[in-house]
Amino acid sequence: MSLSEDLIARFARQLLVPGFGESAQERLLAARIRAVGADAVAGPGLLHLAQAGVGRIWVDDPEDVSPADMGGWLYGPSAVGSPRAEAARAVLEQTSRHLSVEPYPVGGVPTAAFICAPSVAQALAAAETARRARLPHVVVEVDADGGAVVTVPPGAPCYACGRSVSGSGRPPQPGFAALSALAAAELVLVIANPGSATGRRIDLTRGVATVRPTVRLAGCPCGVEGTASS
Amino acid sequence: MIAAPGRVDVRAFACPLTWVKTRIALERLRPGERVEVLLRAGEPLASVPRTAEEEGHRVVSVEPLDGAGAGEDYRVVLERGGGEP
Repeated sequence: MSLSEDLIARFARQLLVPGFGESAQERLLAARIRAVGADAVAGPGLLHLAQAGVGRIWVDDPEDVSPADMGGWLYGPSAVGSPRAEAARAVLEQTSRHLSVEPYPVGGVPTAAFICAPSVAQALAAAETARRARLPHVVVEVDADGGAVVTVPPGAPCYACGRSVSGSGRPPQPGFAALSALAAAELVLVIANPGSATGRRIDLTRGVATVRPTVRLAGCPCGVEGTASS
Repeated sequence: MIAAPGRVDVRAFACPLTWVKTRIALERLRPGERVEVLLRAGEPLASVPRTAEEEGHRVVSVEPLDGAGAGEDYRVVLERGGGEP
């Protein structure tokens, strides 16, 4: 397969990025991303994924849009009360005609996961599901000072190894838009260049980002079940 | 347009599509293979060969296209380098 003239024109500036060529864009277009959580935190990231050219987003969020979601770029006041999956589709599909957005289908087989779950337990469960399926995934953690993004390519230390020891909460604060978009950029890079991605954690504290590789915790099952351990 | 392997005509396009289409044509080659790029004088002629060299490819030749008016269209032959395009 090769990109059509239309797709080349649409993604021209992204195709200029060193290391991001035609085959990377094709991988994005072929991606099926399970988006766990579509609230205000996830919104900027979902928009980023859509505009980067992913082909399909499956929104896994059973909740309705609430007034608290208004600050997250994705939903307007008229969306309050409607299912997040449907409201997200209405917005995201307008950003790219190369994108399909649907509620997460029963039995769906994604190729990657974008996890902005509303609780630590849900994030851990979604990340473990992705790890067992050997899917690249990123997990967003929000806390009072900013938060973190944990990137988990197949075989890397799992999210349980790389997550915040103190857990995470999600009080509303302005930094989460940057955090979510950063997570989406990470997932785009992992999908685009699957061979070169490594597990890492990006902490964003009061606007300052620090990056470090994730380290497998002693005794974690991901060290036994994973392949390319680090 | 990106036509048959070996030739790409970007005369109808402006930056950044001139380089994007050239880059994709290079990406479709193996290291050492060549592509002929047809482009217009001015900014495309200045920037496409320069960017190709910056990204590790080799500019084999630059010459006016047969039949073109003076200073109008050019044929640039690029050879793909060994690294990522």
